Amino acid sequence: MKTLERAKAPRRGLRSRRRRLIPYLFLLPNMAIFGLFTIFPALRGFWISFFDSTDGRHFKYVGTGNYKEIFSDQAVLNVASNTARYVIGYVISSVVISIAIALMLNAQTWGKTIFRSVIFLPVLLSPVVIGLIWANLLDRKRGGINALLAIVGVGKVPWLVDSKYTMWAVIFVGLWTHVGFFTVILLAGLQGIDKNIYEAASLDGAHGWNLVRTITLPLLKPTTLVVVILATIQGFQSFDFIYTLTGGGPVGATTLIVQYIYDSAFQTPIRYGLASAAAVILFFIIFSITILNYLIGRSRDAL
Amino acid sequence: MLRNLSKVRKAGVIAAVAASLLGATLMATPSLASTATKHTPVLKPDNANPGAARLAGWKGKTINYLYFTDGPDEKYTRDLVAQFTQQTGINVNLQIIPFANLDSTLAARLAAGNPPDLARVASPQLYVNDALNLDQYFGANYRKEFLPGSYTAVLDKNGGLFGVPSDLTMNGPLINVDLFKKAGVPLPSTTKPWTWTEMLAAAKKVQAATKTDYAFAIDKSGHRLSTVLSQYGTNLIGAGGTNGLDVAKATKALQPLVDMYVADQAPKDLWLGSGAKYAAPLDIFYAQQVPVYLSGNWQVAALAANAKFNWAAAPNPCDVACGGFPGGKFEIAFKKSANPVIAAYFLNWLNKPAEQNYMDQGSFWMPTRVDLANAGIKYPSNAADMNVFIADSARTPDLAYAKDAQGAAFSNAANALRDGLTSVIAGKTTLTAMLTDLKTKIDGWIVK
Repeated sequence: MKTLERAKAPRRGLRSRRRRLIPYLFLLPNMAIFGLFTIFPALRGFWISFFDSTDGRHFKYVGTGNYKEIFSDQAVLNVASNTARYVIGYVISSVVISIAIALMLNAQTWGKTIFRSVIFLPVLLSPVVIGLIWANLLDRKRGGINALLAIVGVGKVPWLVDSKYTMWAVIFVGLWTHVGFFTVILLAGLQGIDKNIYEAASLDGAHGWNLVRTITLPLLKPTTLVVVILATIQGFQSFDFIYTLTGGGPVGATTLIVQYIYDSAFQTPIRYGLASAAAVILFFIIFSITILNYLIGRSRDAL
Repeated sequence: MLRNLSKVRKAGVIAAVAASLLGATLMATPSLASTATKHTPVLKPDNANPGAARLAGWKGKTINYLYFTDGPDEKYTRDLVAQFTQQTGINVNLQIIPFANLDSTLAARLAAGNPPDLARVASPQLYVNDALNLDQYFGANYRKEFLPGSYTAVLDKNGGLFGVPSDLTMNGPLINVDLFKKAGVPLPSTTKPWTWTEMLAAAKKVQAATKTDYAFAIDKSGHRLSTVLSQYGTNLIGAGGTNGLDVAKATKALQPLVDMYVADQAPKDLWLGSGAKYAAPLDIFYAQQVPVYLSGNWQVAALAANAKFNWAAAPNPCDVACGGFPGGKFEIAFKKSANPVIAAYFLNWLNKPAEQNYMDQGSFWMPTRVDLANAGIKYPSNAADMNVFIADSARTPDLAYAKDAQGAAFSNAANALRDGLTSVIAGKTTLTAMLTDLKTKIDGWIVK
């Protein structure tokens, strides 16, 4: 009997090892594709950032030369400043307006589907189409927005031509594009809040804004954190609709970091090394801010 | 404690995976530095007439032709490709991409070791190190079949021919004849060119009388701005490939343009609202909102097909010099492509007299071949407009044709001029300061 058990023991061990291995085998195809098409190019990009080229074909090792150039170039500082202004404006307005819309939609009693669909619709549009639509609407001479403003006596506002207005216009279009997506996430968060808590608070005399301030917003915090992180990442990565809306102009006033990377890599003189270095820096910025957001959110939760 | 240990172990595993991936990447990636010195394939000499036996061997092969289109030329290129396939049995895969993506696509394909067999390009000097030397195929006299001004752009630093000029372009103004007539402003003479002062005065008069949005428009392009510089006696690249920019002359040349953009007499929104990109006010001209539009002969085919009003090519305005500014499109074959020899043969075939004549007639191109230029092209319509451009090409100073003597320096300088003028129009800098800065930059590009 004992001999039989002793013989079975290694087989059981083998079976248990196999069982533990099976999930990894299932993950393997996905990880292989992820490794080949995401991790490998990312590492390759990091490697290229140590080389310079003026034609995209003949490379010269420059060490940290590209990084030094980025940190000492006034044009890059302008790009960094534009990106910071855009991200701050975009994230704050996205979060505030998405919460406001989500609260309104959550309180709706009729026409829920129509309003939710309308709010979500821009998310489905191509960013290039969005850029072209708003370029027409914001056109100084023949745009719809200025035509509407003319009714109330406002003159022709150079939305896309004067750097005083362009960043606001770009933030607005970014907001218009993505607010539906954030609203849906927040709406899901709102619907997850237990209704009994509201009932109990009402019995204690809390109403209207008090309920929102003391119950809704605190309980919505984890979902809000997700929205903040997503909006931050999206803000840093904004490019396509801006490229068709303003081309990064006027005079670089709306050129953000991703366009800088694109221009360095794909406009003459083609400099893949410089573009890769900027992409590495962008990665670390987004990564740091995401971790920071996460840690701040978690420490508040702990309190 | 245990949790911490587990975290440390996890971090170790992640670090090990990352390190091995990095190691694998570095090992799997050939040294980028070494690619500069890598092979230049030795190609067997060939000629324009490879003989029946050799052609039979090429039958059924496919070559890739990367192409951008100005519009109407696509049909005629497809016709020629079909004829070539019919005659030789060689297939040509026409890969059409937008002009704006041409250089980035081509550079990426060359960097990846996947070049097309040949490509139509506008800035051939960007590819001088990758293009096939055609002298070894067609002999040193082959270039003499083409106009000297047209092939200087495809000469390498040793004077070797690395491409074929397929069409010559000439910058010049297009005018809305209907608007001029409506305003009672006389049309310019085609034989005695107007001056810049006369042209701008006429444009403003037409704008005032016809209430168009703008008086004057020009493509947002450093190449087009070079037209104005040349007419005022200065160039980005000067004699002998030196820095040719005279800041005082360039300021005098460009100040009237800047003034018009600032005063909204030229389409400021298009110029400022398109970032650091090329932009053409062709739609504004189509919409009859500008009477004078400085572009070039490549617009003739599109305007002939689409304009709903009477228009005409006008001679370039003069200051100290007359004429326009030359450009062109070139066909180049690539050394490291799959079929360089067949590509060279096709490139030669495309630019034989009958084939180039067919393209020129259909697409309103100006010939690059000496025989066609001497005989003249019989355009199916708008011959008078094409003749204005052809006459201007004769008036253009020789120096303008030497713009490519410093490789890619002209392209870099032209883009910098375009972007610099954007800053001036936006009021971020002065014209003189911008041009002084540009002059220094050109020195750097020439040295490189």
